[in-house]
Amino acid sequence: MKLTRLRSLALAALLSAPALAVQSLAAQTLDPKTLTLFHQPADVWPTYHGDYSGRRFSEITQINQKNIAQLKTKWKYKITGIPPLRGSGPLVIKSTPLMVDGVLYFTIPDHVFAVDARTGKEKWRFDFEDHGGHVLGQRGVGMYGKWIYFLTPDGWFISLDSATGKERWRKKVADEKLQYFTTMAAVIVKNHVIIGIGGDAMDVRGYLESRDPETGELQWQWWAEPLKMGDPGSETWPNQAAMDHGGGMTWLPGTYDPELNLIYWGTGNTNPVFAGQGRKGANLYTDSIVALNPDTGKLAWYFQASPHDTHDWDNVETPVLFDMEIDGKPRKLLAQAARCGYFFVLDRTNGKYLVSKPFTKTANWAKGIDERGQPIPDPGKEPHVDGSMVDIATGGATNWPPPSYSPQTQLFYVNASEGYSVAYLYDTSSDPQGYGGGSSGWFDPASSLIALDVKTGDVKWKHTAKGLGGEGGMSGGILTTGGGLLFTGDSRRLAAFDSANGKILWSEKLDSSMSNGPSTWVLDGKQNVIVGAGDTLYALTLDGK
Amino acid sequence: MSKTPAILLSAASLLCATIVSLGVHAKPVSAHMQEPNLQRDTQAPSTNRSHVFLGLGREPDAAAAKRGGPLYKQNCSACHGESARGGIGPNLVRSVLVLHDDSDEEISRVIEKGRAGTSMPPFPSLSATDRRDIAEYLHWEIEQAANRGLYKNADTMSSGDAEKGKSFFAANCANCHSTTGDLAHIATKYPQPAAMLARIAWPTSRMAPRQATVTTPDGQKLTGTLAHYDDFETTLKAGDGKTTTWATDTVNVDISDKLAGHRALLPKYSDDDLHNLTRYLLTLK
Repeated sequence: MKLTRLRSLALAALLSAPALAVQSLAAQTLDPKTLTLFHQPADVWPTYHGDYSGRRFSEITQINQKNIAQLKTKWKYKITGIPPLRGSGPLVIKSTPLMVDGVLYFTIPDHVFAVDARTGKEKWRFDFEDHGGHVLGQRGVGMYGKWIYFLTPDGWFISLDSATGKERWRKKVADEKLQYFTTMAAVIVKNHVIIGIGGDAMDVRGYLESRDPETGELQWQWWAEPLKMGDPGSETWPNQAAMDHGGGMTWLPGTYDPELNLIYWGTGNTNPVFAGQGRKGANLYTDSIVALNPDTGKLAWYFQASPHDTHDWDNVETPVLFDMEIDGKPRKLLAQAARCGYFFVLDRTNGKYLVSKPFTKTANWAKGIDERGQPIPDPGKEPHVDGSMVDIATGGATNWPPPSYSPQTQLFYVNASEGYSVAYLYDTSSDPQGYGGGSSGWFDPASSLIALDVKTGDVKWKHTAKGLGGEGGMSGGILTTGGGLLFTGDSRRLAAFDSANGKILWSEKLDSSMSNGPSTWVLDGKQNVIVGAGDTLYALTLDGK
Repeated sequence: MSKTPAILLSAASLLCATIVSLGVHAKPVSAHMQEPNLQRDTQAPSTNRSHVFLGLGREPDAAAAKRGGPLYKQNCSACHGESARGGIGPNLVRSVLVLHDDSDEEISRVIEKGRAGTSMPPFPSLSATDRRDIAEYLHWEIEQAANRGLYKNADTMSSGDAEKGKSFFAANCANCHSTTGDLAHIATKYPQPAAMLARIAWPTSRMAPRQATVTTPDGQKLTGTLAHYDDFETTLKAGDGKTTTWATDTVNVDISDKLAGHRALLPKYSDDDLHNLTRYLLTLK
């Protein structure tokens, strides 16, 4: 029991998790010291984003602009023996693999894989049979000590032994009969396993919860809507029923600042999704960035990206944390490129905005921004029975694939979808149910990698993919490195760009389009770049050695 | 770009989706899921597939629901609303009890016995079959709301003005299009307003082959169809059927932009313009 290590654990952790503190750090055990805001150790990828900041920036410089031409595939792991998932076709790896003590842990819906990081050989596999829920995606696992945490489509929260893949326990955390489903990679903060949920087919409340890593018991729950009329935020809803069916799902991993002791999470779209007539008002805290205390689940501040959303613009995209000097003063900041087409930079201590600006076209659904920097929706641009066109493509200006921030360039990078779409209203009743409408179209389509200046929100550079449709376009998430590189998917390849100017420096063909967020770490002195594309995971090293 | 799996899909994310926009079919739209689905899917949309994809469980018994509808209206709608969306009594489409009751036993029990402590009275005269039919009707209503694959755009347009559309056309479209030439009888091809509107906005539902002139590193110019074009490789199919591939960064590719007019109009349209124009083109039967 080293006191230094204990100091990094909250008192609560000591009370409920002495096991971790006394464990010798044997094989495949995650040292909690590796979970940091910035500067995670090079020999581990301990959480979905690599560190707590969500920057997806690695300081490793072994692979850099000078030797990038030598980068080659070292091994491939192809998923075999699993049929196409119910209703959703071929298998697609969307998860970012954790790498701990030479083992990679990654997922697809219903399945967890442990693979030797040196060879790509399977160590174990955990197979689950779901009884409902959406099999749309699975972002990966969380790890605490030697335990792995996995969420299934139908809302089971399962703890596995990282050495064997054997199940320790399972807890039900979401009700698939109400159309909840779970796809996210749990985020471990001190002795809290933080879990979000998805599901907006049947108008239910979003929530985020924290569970005990040893027992799986609930520690706290935060609801995306105020609980009752009269509570703060309830003034943005017409009545209790609208709040109770308001949506606001929490389906992507958030970020955490240990010093401020706040987690930052994005909340999903409001329900009913396209039909807003039964829920007049801004509808807090849906479509927002919220800062919560991880020990209590209490709200510290919020910023609403898409007030009274009627376009399915889940605001769950990563709230990326970074520090920077502004006007000579050190600032703790948070940036998000949102699905509604706005780029936000906020002070993460209080939610006050520095930048609020469209990053693709004009975001013609908004009339401007309010005094807090929140867009003001134009009621005339809500879905219409005969269609209403916005200059955001169906699916949003960006989506779940992770963005990146490089402290080297001080730029924020996001893969964007540019174009126009039309939103329709189908359910014209005063109390709509379900989606109540829909959106279609990607008119004048463009797929681009955009580098944004975090001080101004200006586009520093943009790479618009030449290929479109089936043959091209940007894909997957983004990783930046100390080697001056930016890795992302472009037209069925993994490509490396110069992070300063967007020039393509290198690419390698993959068997399908890159489908996850790239990650990197060093093992046996070798820097590896790890990407998933369809049903295959790739490890790349210099000269493939 | 999320759709029912039947719908859209793309290689790795909306960022490069091949758009099979349902907006231009009789049955839209985008069951927008929470995220883009990644794989391309060429199968036609089927309501059953979206039901399966959404994990909606057992499908309602359509015949029973059809019998249950009138029974519901007669016995239940006074309190629970015309289509079970609630009134003085609770909304049954969002009822946790109903959503969970796969076997119809709970719903049947509540209908038969009523609920103590609430205004829900017992209905002893309804037979077990009647009660089950009503339960299936409720499950059918839930299916209508929750299964986005069943959603349909309207077959008629309620707004817009054909005369205004005609003048808009004359001012903005007549340079390239003619209502007696290329657009004659266009309304027979796109009778549904949403399909027509999508066609007006961006008249290509998938990447049609693009004509291009490639200037090679030694200054040679070749014209043909782009068989493949991305940031890395360019493949041109010349008139004689011969294909050549170059590294994209070694050639200059000049693509003729047939959609420049449409591209320029997109930021300018008001929704009224689009509705008027749609209304007008729908008269070209």
